[in-house]
Amino acid sequence: MKRALVIGFMILVIAPLTWAAGETPKKGGSLIVCVGDEPPGLDPTASASAAIDRVVYSNIFEGLVKTDRNGKFVPGLAAKWDVSADGKVYTFQLRKGVTFHNGETFNAQVAKWNLERGAAEGTKNAHPEFFRAIEKIETPDEFTLKLTLKDVNSLFIVQMAEGDSVMLPMKGFENTAAQPIGTGPFKFLEWKRGDSVEMARNEKYWNPQLPYLDKVTYRFIKDPSAQVAALKAGDVDILGWILAPEIAMGISRDKKFKVLSGASTSEVIMSTNNKVKPFDNKLVRQAIAHAIDRKTVNELVVLGYGTPIGSHWSPITPFYVDLTKKFPYDPKKAKELLAKAGYPNGFEATIKLPAIYPYANKAGEVIADMLGQVGIKLKIEIVEWGFWLDRIFKQKDFQLSMIGHAEAWDIGIYANPNYYFQYDSQEFRDAYNQALKATTETEQAKGFARCQEIIATDAVNGYLFASPSLSAMKTELMNWWKDYPTIALDCTEVWWNK
Amino acid sequence: MLRYLAKKLITLVLLLFLVSITVFSVLFVLPGDPAQIILGINATPESLASLRADLGLDKSFLGQYGDWIGKLLVGQSHQSIHYKMPVFELVLSRLAVTGPLALLAMLFAVAISIPLGIYAARHQNQRGDVTVMAFTQLGLATPEFWLGILLILLFSVQLNWFAAGGFPGWGTDPWGSFKALLLPAFALGVIRASILTRLTRSSMLEVLREDYVRTARAKGLRESTVVYGHALRNALIPVLTIMGLQLGQLLAGAIIIENVYFLPGLGRLVFTSIGMRDLPVVRDIVLLMATAVVSVNFIVDLAYAYVDPRIKLK
Repeated sequence: MKRALVIGFMILVIAPLTWAAGETPKKGGSLIVCVGDEPPGLDPTASASAAIDRVVYSNIFEGLVKTDRNGKFVPGLAAKWDVSADGKVYTFQLRKGVTFHNGETFNAQVAKWNLERGAAEGTKNAHPEFFRAIEKIETPDEFTLKLTLKDVNSLFIVQMAEGDSVMLPMKGFENTAAQPIGTGPFKFLEWKRGDSVEMARNEKYWNPQLPYLDKVTYRFIKDPSAQVAALKAGDVDILGWILAPEIAMGISRDKKFKVLSGASTSEVIMSTNNKVKPFDNKLVRQAIAHAIDRKTVNELVVLGYGTPIGSHWSPITPFYVDLTKKFPYDPKKAKELLAKAGYPNGFEATIKLPAIYPYANKAGEVIADMLGQVGIKLKIEIVEWGFWLDRIFKQKDFQLSMIGHAEAWDIGIYANPNYYFQYDSQEFRDAYNQALKATTETEQAKGFARCQEIIATDAVNGYLFASPSLSAMKTELMNWWKDYPTIALDCTEVWWNK
Repeated sequence: MLRYLAKKLITLVLLLFLVSITVFSVLFVLPGDPAQIILGINATPESLASLRADLGLDKSFLGQYGDWIGKLLVGQSHQSIHYKMPVFELVLSRLAVTGPLALLAMLFAVAISIPLGIYAARHQNQRGDVTVMAFTQLGLATPEFWLGILLILLFSVQLNWFAAGGFPGWGTDPWGSFKALLLPAFALGVIRASILTRLTRSSMLEVLREDYVRTARAKGLRESTVVYGHALRNALIPVLTIMGLQLGQLLAGAIIIENVYFLPGLGRLVFTSIGMRDLPVVRDIVLLMATAVVSVNFIVDLAYAYVDPRIKLK
């Protein structure tokens, strides 16, 4: 375990240095990226599936705002924007000379149409509320977009940077799921069902310096051992997502490859049904929080590559507060709290684990052992993904489960008492609304810190660790993202040093 | 003959109807909402409802069944929820991988098993026979995915002779596509060869004890003429039956090896489609496979009737 940490640390330290040694990027070459899941269609405005964003976000499609490799919100199709003092009016100056891959021009009219489409009745967008927050859309000239919000929304820019908010062409949008047309640095070539998605450099990209690569192929290989074989045999150049930690260790010993270990926005939590006995009792949940040794969980489940968390917020998302000390590992305290809650001899419960996520299964076993030591006997049930969505997520028929919540900035799910863990707290809802209404960065930081704190204190779920972002690639591949602060595998600035 | 044919045809249609009802019902009660799987866990209820309506999932059991069968009857293809293309095209493109893979695997199996089986039978209980039998035992005990991984490690990672998996497509790279099928076909073929070798051997041993073989030998024919000219043909009949069954299995169920070599074949399509609740794809493929099996049996029945006139009278 120590060695894993040392290797991980070395990678963290050395990798940025090798980039910094920085030759100027070279143009040309093609890249084959291995990802685990094949997306269900290629339209990010018609599904919140992470597998879609991992292929198309910032590669084929762009929104007004982009998330960069540091988690910052940078100009995308909007060259810059201003927010009025009351926080309600956003004025975007759009980039000039942007065309879609089919030749259509991007301007304020197109942006307006896209925003209206997301808000329309019967929209297929998974997040219509992003767009319904807008009261009025004005286009004073061809490249100015003035949005007036119904209310202050400190997450508005965050939402405009999501995959759900990318811009589609007004004429060529109909068949986006199969034939995507965007403004991005790469244009779609072909989707070989069951095998790969291919894209080629967009010669007319608005930034003439980019991209560096001529061609990018996303190949879908689910089986971890097949992934490694493909990398070692040279069939793919990089394992971008998802790399199993056990494999990362093996590959990092091979001089032909390098492993980047960063952080992602996926918080792995032991989801807890706050409405069923005995988990409706806060003392029980707090006892569990004390019974979990997060450091050990992180080491056993992801070989120490992840980061322990104490609340539902990833360390690479702005405004993060470290709350891991709130409930330090203390089995004695846990037992005391259980006794106080009326369970001096513990109790039995069932944890349902989704079979498709190996980390969830491993974490389930580790947690079952830890809780067993304070008298809570867990029965493990492994369930298929469709079953999980139906029984656990939709019907809330569970006591405990285990899942990674991939989206950044998703703490708002705690404000919804009908969400599957059924947390119902007016205090949190007030705090969240206040955070949303904050107009300055200091206020926002304070507001979101408060939100993190409330759910940590209430021990709503078992907060375990933020998933690592592990990628393994040929050593000549440069400038790949180390952290994944948003759900994307952005190849815009990636280049070959050979 | 006509009455017989009509009777058989009616049974065939009834059988397919029952299969369609069963397939549909089983998938209907399967927990898991395709709309939820597509939209993800943070989707709003409104988007979910809208997509469900779009996919026709808001209709009643009979309504959905009618939609499905109705389209099939008029020869219209359904749309895959996951892949956003007609199921018919999808299945055809997958058959272009799985079909050749199954044939190639059978070719390997036959090329290995028939000569080995004959050799073992002719040297019964001698050292050669014992060695061959030991290897077939090993082959029977080896899981095909493991053999597949071993082959990748040797031929792809170490020697770099083959790609570790994937399928470039017949259109873009015919030779590369053929090469991509060789390792998985070999892995599938070797395992099946173990069964066929044992079968060929025992069947051959039985035939070699027949009177006509003794007669042939008594006539003074050379041993090779006796074995290959007279005994082999009869010995192969049970082997062919099993081979037919194996070929059917290979077409439907090369799921594991297709995952190891990430080949876009029919087996993997069914597998991922069930996981993604891509119900139109699953339903159509299961019905297609059922139709294939039923039709083959139908043809066999007809063939029996043709060969043996007594069957018609029943």
